[in-house]
Amino acid sequence: MADPARIKTESNSEKSLAARKSPKTEDTEEVPVTSDADTESKDPSSQSLKREQDSVAGEDEDEGTSGQPASKKLKVEPEKKKEKRQKVDEDEIQKMQVLVSSFSEEQLNRYEMYRRSAFPKAAIKRLIQSITGSSVSQNVVIAMSGISKVFAGEIVEEALDVCEKWGDTPPLQPKHMREAVRRLKSREQIPNTKHKNILFH
Amino acid sequence: MAEEEDEAGFDDDMDDGAGGADGNHGKRKRLFSKELRCMMYGFGDDQNPYTESVDILEDLVIEFVTEMTHKAMSIGRQGRVQVEDIVFLIRKDPRKFARVKDLLTMNEELKRARKAFDEANYGS
Repeated sequence: MADPARIKTESNSEKSLAARKSPKTEDTEEVPVTSDADTESKDPSSQSLKREQDSVAGEDEDEGTSGQPASKKLKVEPEKKKEKRQKVDEDEIQKMQVLVSSFSEEQLNRYEMYRRSAFPKAAIKRLIQSITGSSVSQNVVIAMSGISKVFAGEIVEEALDVCEKWGDTPPLQPKHMREAVRRLKSREQIPNTKHKNILFH
Repeated sequence: MAEEEDEAGFDDDMDDGAGGADGNHGKRKRLFSKELRCMMYGFGDDQNPYTESVDILEDLVIEFVTEMTHKAMSIGRQGRVQVEDIVFLIRKDPRKFARVKDLLTMNEELKRARKAFDEANYGS
């Protein structure tokens, strides 16, 4: 099943796919934006630049993963980088449109749930404020809900891997979830400040 | 010593919401049940995920938010949580980093668009 949510390979396409998904996922915003409106909001900016660059999309990755070298590159060649990025965005948008148009109904449902689901901002804000004791800005809530969703996705994907490996079928059972957590912990993808490594006892 | 998630999950399996005197995570009211169900379906699970799995995931997410908040409070400006701290904390995780950057950029764009729209309305 070509479910974009299940694409797990750490390749260019995966990263730019993950990066491209977010502009459309403004269901967290009050303004309801459909996917058509989203591509239109992106198109005016990309249409202003034509396809003059024909380089690979590989460099675009650096901006997402490591801030340092990317900012230096930006200072050196701002225009070229921007054009390249917009061309990559255009390609991404087209590829996504082609992909989504070929979905079956069940895939469309799942994709819609993937895009639309989000944590309620009020609850996240209440949770953060109960921990800090002081108020937090809206951007913090937006950032925290966003990464929490990515976090939940990582766990579910790992649990689905475990489920498949053990020869079970979805729905996921708690044992799959716990094994997924154990694996992610060993990869240090789950923050844990409770355990102190005492080096010399 | 059993790990925290395991304990919470095990307790949830045993007594699902039954009244108890201990202050366990599982006894708190469920904050994200509905949203998490949709999210799990979106990420690849069955259309009706098990309630126990949803509970485990909710506990994990709440613990994640708690840990991030504590870490953010301890760096940068102490006692406060700021966006820069969050971005700093997830700098090593490419997916989350890219996602936060995109979200904040889109938020700025939307704010600008709304402002321009409001000004256009005000003028006419």
